[in-house]
Amino acid sequence: MIARTPHLNDERLLDRYLAVRSGEMPDPPAADHLADCAECTARYDELAGFMDHVRADADAETDAVFPAERLRLQQQHIARRLEAVGRPPRVITFPARLAGAKLSAGRAGITRWKYGAAAASLILVGGIGAMGVGALYDSMWRPAQRARVFATPRPARLAPVATDGNQPAPDPAADDAFLSDLELALERPRTRELQAFDALTPHVRTVSDKAR
Amino acid sequence: MSTDVRTALDPAPAAESPEPGKRRVAPLSEDSRLATEIRALAERGEMDEARERFGGLVAAHQRRALRIAYQYLRDAAEADEAVQDAFVKVFSHIGSYREAWPFEVWFTRILINGCLDRRKARSRRDRWFTSSTDATPADEARASLSAAASRPDANPEGRILARERRERLAAAIDRLDGRQRTVFMLCHYGDCTPREVSAMTGLNESTVRVHLFRAARKLRGLLGGKP
Repeated sequence: MIARTPHLNDERLLDRYLAVRSGEMPDPPAADHLADCAECTARYDELAGFMDHVRADADAETDAVFPAERLRLQQQHIARRLEAVGRPPRVITFPARLAGAKLSAGRAGITRWKYGAAAASLILVGGIGAMGVGALYDSMWRPAQRARVFATPRPARLAPVATDGNQPAPDPAADDAFLSDLELALERPRTRELQAFDALTPHVRTVSDKAR
Repeated sequence: MSTDVRTALDPAPAAESPEPGKRRVAPLSEDSRLATEIRALAERGEMDEARERFGGLVAAHQRRALRIAYQYLRDAAEADEAVQDAFVKVFSHIGSYREAWPFEVWFTRILINGCLDRRKARSRRDRWFTSSTDATPADEARASLSAAASRPDANPEGRILARERRERLAAAIDRLDGRQRTVFMLCHYGDCTPREVSAMTGLNESTVRVHLFRAARKLRGLLGGKP
């Protein structure tokens, strides 16, 4: 009488599945057992079917969300961003001579009514600021109300633009390129300290994609 | 708990070697060879040539990277950015690439780190704003339209069922423990072997297998044995 090996547990079945998928040599005793045992073969087929379905679903979903056109656009964005790697950040020089001239002209022409206007605007800004603080306090201490405000579906924020019909439709690739440039500018070392705030706020591309 | 792969840019492999003191010398893969060439070009200052060659690596790994990032983040825009960031980071740090690692392993570690950072940032944001952990309506609409375009014969009911199935699966994966999720993602969606996942995460290979087994068992339990 030939002693039969015990049934394979799920762990060994999964090991075999992984080995088969990656083209490795499966465990020979497990392979021998599967060849003889219909029960284990059925369990293996069920496990392999489950794993294959999970993978196929993920593939189909990713292909649907990222079609070939979007992959091509992403490659372009990456190429554009790589252009900036290893190059010093651009510095936009401030027109010092012009600014100096305007400043001196301004000093000469300061009059009393200008002081008055400055004081009035200061009071106005202070008032608006106080109202803003009040609103912030309300939003922090009324979370339920805040959640309702955010959860309420908003009307479309993008107003339609009247055109004469001859103008080309807005190019999403150009928008993406602009947003990509904007993000690139924000990543420069001079604005690195703003990234903590950036992490706390919705990303500009996320917002634009949601708006589309 | 998440499997953080913080040392992705470090030169030394984090995984335990099966035989301490002996390094397995494996032949360089095509990608790894290309990465080595790009590193040499960058060191010589031939950046334009390096960028051009790097395009080949992007094309080769882009789809797999997007699959991992999208399944991890469930948001097309975030996955797009995570993948872009990973490629840019890899190119910026190509000087620290060592042939001891396959390029794929090195790149995937950087990608997963980025995805983990984004998940953390999102959870911080979600304390203040409405939740965005599920696929956005725009993503779903885009996915439905693309799926309908690619399979015009599929009936609407079938598409709805497929979408529900995917949502159920995504929810089940989201319920996995952080390490189980990472290991499952890398093995099953990233086409990585347990040995490669071990190199990426620093976990022992047998631990990777245990996490993977538990993840698969839990998913089958959550989904009733069917996806």
